[in-house]
Amino acid sequence: MSYQVSIFIENKLGRLEKVTALLRDAEINIRSVHLNHSAKGWGVLNLVVSDPELAQRVLNEGGMSAALREIAVVEMADNPGGLNKLLAEVVRAGINFTNAYGRVVSDGDSAFFMIDIQDIPDAREKLTKVGLKIIPDLQVYGL
Amino acid sequence: MYWEKELEILDRKSLERLQVERLNRTLLQAVNAPGYRRIPKIAALARSGISSIEQLRELPFTTKSDLRDNFPWGFLAADKRDVVRLHSSSGTTGNPTVVYHNRHDLASWAKLMARSMFAAGVRDSDVFQNICGYGLFTGGLGFQYGAEKLGCLSIPAGAGNSLRQIKLMRDFGTSVAHAIPSYLGRLFEVFKDEGLDPRRDTQLRTLIIGAEPHTEEHRQRIEEMFGVKAYNSFGLTEMNGPGVAFECTEQNGLHIWEDAFAVEIIDPESLQPVADGEIGELVMTTLDRQAMPVIRYRTRDLTRFLPGDCQCGRSHRRIDRISGRSDDMFIVKGCNVFPMQVEGILMKLPEVGDDYRIILDTIADQDEMIVEVEVKREWFTGDLAFLDRLQRHITRLIRDEVLVRPVVSLVEPGSIPKAEGKAIRVFDRRKN
Repeated sequence: MSYQVSIFIENKLGRLEKVTALLRDAEINIRSVHLNHSAKGWGVLNLVVSDPELAQRVLNEGGMSAALREIAVVEMADNPGGLNKLLAEVVRAGINFTNAYGRVVSDGDSAFFMIDIQDIPDAREKLTKVGLKIIPDLQVYGL
Repeated sequence: MYWEKELEILDRKSLERLQVERLNRTLLQAVNAPGYRRIPKIAALARSGISSIEQLRELPFTTKSDLRDNFPWGFLAADKRDVVRLHSSSGTTGNPTVVYHNRHDLASWAKLMARSMFAAGVRDSDVFQNICGYGLFTGGLGFQYGAEKLGCLSIPAGAGNSLRQIKLMRDFGTSVAHAIPSYLGRLFEVFKDEGLDPRRDTQLRTLIIGAEPHTEEHRQRIEEMFGVKAYNSFGLTEMNGPGVAFECTEQNGLHIWEDAFAVEIIDPESLQPVADGEIGELVMTTLDRQAMPVIRYRTRDLTRFLPGDCQCGRSHRRIDRISGRSDDMFIVKGCNVFPMQVEGILMKLPEVGDDYRIILDTIADQDEMIVEVEVKREWFTGDLAFLDRLQRHITRLIRDEVLVRPVVSLVEPGSIPKAEGKAIRVFDRRKN
């Protein structure tokens, strides 16, 4: 099971910088950055990091609001049409999501697609059913 | 020149005699209300009667909490069958302040309103557009009845919807409009957006502004925007609503109608009268209300009597524009808000931390109440939709309580400075 770290941040100068400084001091590597903005002056920053539990702890101790949120990660090819091919399968699985992001794993070869959805066990089951492979957490964290 | 000449220019001596007569009648009526009957001093003076208006000072004060503590019927001094309307301040959590009127009271209020509008130069030939909330808010029906009494063609436009306001103004040739001052800046912006200039494209000649404290500079800005005279109106629900004090065309202070109200200005600490011309808290007694007389009501509004006589010839004294409050109430978008009302809502929500801030600011020429709240760490699940729902929920709860739609801003935990001692929660950054 893979987790992203979700952090509540206000839209103010220096907030992202503060998050990344806390992670740097804990020697945590950031693999993916995704910013979800609410247009109301705040947003949620989603990070895939090398050690989510440690990241959550140092961020909360540093005064932030950080939560761990389970995600479903699937693989796609890093070439034109790669995401589309993957999404065709996701559609076949009947999964509708509001939040997702990607990261390249191997240039020109493979990339990961992170799906952030409320009912992860259900999503995992449906994705597996159409033959998609759920990437194990250590691989997601880049370990 | 005057709507009710004999009363408006009555010499001070006769005016005081009228006040004594009406105060005696008011006291006799007041003791019908359980809230007053049980106060020995009021019962005694109602029996013996007073002979000079100075004796008013022997009576105890009435405060907003007295009115609330006796909710709902404790200050009703008339048979419920004779009461025809109530107005009420906001409030879904605590007890609201309720004021009852019988037919006489509504007629008396309408006369005061007509007299006030006439003093500001409004005539029966005018088309009067009332741009303010109807319903429990007194500004709607108060001005409505006054305008009808005066004989204007009245347009009960209600609050908001600027495009429709402009269309009504143009379609029917509105010559006089009443609105809260903070709204008029917004309305002017909409005029500009539509490529219209109120000076050129309307027949407006007079504005009446009130229900919100504002500066002389703000008034002048409104006058320039619309190319008209803007007259200041003062009132409060406990004293009917609008029509308590009003500027005449001299625009030099607000005549407070002393045949309908006995007026004192006191030091809020010592509770003694301040020297003439000094700023203090306005204390008012109804003199012409039957269903709910209110004796020595502490308005918490700070003002002063303006020395000297007015050029207009009216003998009723003038008060200065309201310069502040002797409590923590503030007024935004014409609604009275106590910080405790907002706090009461926030503290009931488990998702929200103990610290909060209320910031009053002018955004796009409109006054806004921004409420900053901290979301507790343990409630944050990383879900943006949850935060959105929470924000909407808090917005609705506050709006239902104080009748003003706030801008609720969720902030990081710990970002609001911790309160030490008596925390200052309200920051007024409004430009006017």
